[in-house]
Amino acid sequence: MPAEKRRRRGIHRFRRASQWTFLVLFTALLTLTVWPLGHVFLGAFLVGDPLIAANSIANGVWTWQMLIAVAMLATPLVIGRAFCGFVCPTGTLIEAAGRRSKRRLSAHARERWRTVPAFVLLGSAGLLLFASGFFLLFDPLSMLTRTATVLLYPFIDRMLRLIGDIAYLVPPLRSATDVATTALTGRLVFAVPRVYGLSLGVLGFFAAILGLNLLEPRLWCKHLCPLGALLGFVGRLAPAGRVVDADACIQCGACEETCPMDAVREGFLATDTSRCQLCMECADACPVDAISTGLRPRKSLYSPSRRAVVAGGGLALLGGFFTYTGLSRVARDARLVRPPGARREKDLLALCSRCGQCMKVCPTNVLQPSLSKAGLEGFFTPEMDYRVGACDWACSECGKVCPTTAIQPLELETKRTTRIGRAYIDQNRCIPWTDFKTCLVCQELCPVPEKAIVVTEDDVVTPEGVAMKLQRPHVVVDRCIGCGICEFNCPVAQESAIIVRTIDL
Amino acid sequence: MSDLERREFCRILTGCTLIACTGGLAGCARLLDWSADVEAGRGRVATMAVSPPSLEPSATVVPTETVPVPQLPDLAVFSGDDPAANVRAAVDALGGMALFVKRGARVVIKPNVITGRAVELATTTNPAAVAEVVKMAYEAGAAQVIVLDRPTGDPRTAFEGSGIAKAVSDADGTVKILSDRNFERFDIPEGRVLTSWPLVTDIFEADTFINMPIGKTHSMAGLTMSMKNLMGIMGGTRGTIHQDFHQKIVDLATLVKPHLVILDAYRIMIRNGPTGGSLKDVRTPKTVIAGTNMPSVDAYGATLFGQKATDLKYLVNAGAQGVGVIDLSRLEILKGTA
Repeated sequence: MPAEKRRRRGIHRFRRASQWTFLVLFTALLTLTVWPLGHVFLGAFLVGDPLIAANSIANGVWTWQMLIAVAMLATPLVIGRAFCGFVCPTGTLIEAAGRRSKRRLSAHARERWRTVPAFVLLGSAGLLLFASGFFLLFDPLSMLTRTATVLLYPFIDRMLRLIGDIAYLVPPLRSATDVATTALTGRLVFAVPRVYGLSLGVLGFFAAILGLNLLEPRLWCKHLCPLGALLGFVGRLAPAGRVVDADACIQCGACEETCPMDAVREGFLATDTSRCQLCMECADACPVDAISTGLRPRKSLYSPSRRAVVAGGGLALLGGFFTYTGLSRVARDARLVRPPGARREKDLLALCSRCGQCMKVCPTNVLQPSLSKAGLEGFFTPEMDYRVGACDWACSECGKVCPTTAIQPLELETKRTTRIGRAYIDQNRCIPWTDFKTCLVCQELCPVPEKAIVVTEDDVVTPEGVAMKLQRPHVVVDRCIGCGICEFNCPVAQESAIIVRTIDL
Repeated sequence: MSDLERREFCRILTGCTLIACTGGLAGCARLLDWSADVEAGRGRVATMAVSPPSLEPSATVVPTETVPVPQLPDLAVFSGDDPAANVRAAVDALGGMALFVKRGARVVIKPNVITGRAVELATTTNPAAVAEVVKMAYEAGAAQVIVLDRPTGDPRTAFEGSGIAKAVSDADGTVKILSDRNFERFDIPEGRVLTSWPLVTDIFEADTFINMPIGKTHSMAGLTMSMKNLMGIMGGTRGTIHQDFHQKIVDLATLVKPHLVILDAYRIMIRNGPTGGSLKDVRTPKTVIAGTNMPSVDAYGATLFGQKATDLKYLVNAGAQGVGVIDLSRLEILKGTA
């Protein structure tokens, strides 16, 4: 008989398969998020994220794809937080990392942790109300996209490069290596090796979230994830869920022991529907088959006291308010140049999901995560780093992949006339200006049809007293779009002698 | 083995492992450095094993016929409404592709793919013309035809945006996107200023190297045609090239001598070169100039812009150094329409 009892039943048998399928799908879609974009790329995965969509809608942005997010937000009414158990690729990794662990927090600590999601939501709401998308830094999908962009793809790039270099040592393999390199360049391996700022920071961030498993498996999913908290908030109203046959229950506690989401309550008979992911591990563990799904489950939900809500809400509002009065909302770092199509700075800070897809799709690697230029609030928002690359004339993909339209999609022709910054020549460092030698790389490569850098032929006298004719570059302000090709290619060592600064937006 | 000995043994083992791991990590960094060397060349200095044999038309024509070999022109200049037909006519007038491409040859074509722009803007070599050369090379019996360049920005956007990737693959040619491993530092023995530089190794491994530029203005060179086009086979950071520019172009030409030079002047860019971007700056002479000597081809090309060879400093240097004849009156020029 016990053998029969242990048999797995229902769709939850395929939970693990479902998790890995979505993780593979997610990775495949992110891999396809490269120039030139086809019809299939990661976008939908993040557009369908209710937390990101809620933030966008609160900021007055609506696209029809957000209907997916609305539908997603309604799912907990029917299937609990099945998203967390069956779909979420971050949850999959967290669960896989903590699978072996039998660690449990003490009963007292669990009691405390259970109160956290309510305040995660309050905190997010406080930031949201004051137009700060900072909390999206903790969205699981955004987090995984960011981690893969900054860590996984540069890793693949280096490894493929290394394999190619090693294969190249064997002459018969050379032409095959060249063919593979041509096919993969710009997709998985790049002409210039991919680099991202903050790579160790992103690694630490992700490691910390996986590391929470050391306290208790899936501690992040249960108590800290803002998306989970939002889905759980809807899940409170669920009319269906896990039901326990009170007569059959022998009070053994196996269900509570097994529950990965800490959702079993009140002598094992009730469920916290704001947590239950309907994985039905409890039903599989139940020795007497007392657990099934059904309508009107007996619920036990944590509701913070009114006083706690007022205090927490007040703090959250203060937090939001003080991001609003932060310096980054008024003054802007002169070198903080946002990608073409980016909304005004304060709208961008409010909308950006900090997912890094724009940095993934950028063919030249010029899009980099912002570390400090946009303030702590703007951590990981995209900025142009012209030491690394320059905005390619043939590309306008960053706006297309943006799930929040923090970077608005631009037609290529529009992008080519969109001004994001302006180049300034540093005459103290520019080679013709200060070294009296010829150099016109910036003028040569300026992609604007009517070149934004013009050359004058001047009669000059060098410090040694030699009179000569010399071509010297100047920026024509009305033509410059701030693409940074000049800054990127300037041969002056370390810091370019032509520098793109932001224009007032 | 006593307990103490065992402990000692464990300690030594751990120590050794740690040292080995540290060594391994240092090795990782070196390995990745080696692999991600953007400067190309890796400090190795290699001299060219075989310099591209300068073509002797009389020697390569197989004397199966008894009729005397006709005197072939130095330059073939053909005009017409079809860029591909112009190229074919010009190369045929030079003696035909079979003269340059032997059966089973590995052919490398270097068009100008500076950045990805539409063909109408005359920023890159005409894709139809490039595809025609690929076809002609295959017709002459080439085993492999490779089209390569090192664009200034992202290579994929350049090759696909210019239409060259599609045109070449439609003609069964191979576009090769270059990686650092395709460059090696070569000595330039006759270089006066530029004495060595990382260059694409394919150029030297190829049986036939075809230089296929487009005519454009260039703020520093004056005009960019075949000689300036060779900058695209240079690796490393090219920014510093712009000092003593005119001599460096000539220095490079003393080492790299294409077997065939085809200057695409179907469209030319008369202002805002070499990237351009406006139709206002494009003129359409609908011409192709083919030859075997870069300075000669460029000397004729300059006339399409209303300039003389002597207006271009690098051509003057090239002429003076004996790299090629730039006096058009001393050249046999065959003109025609395709």
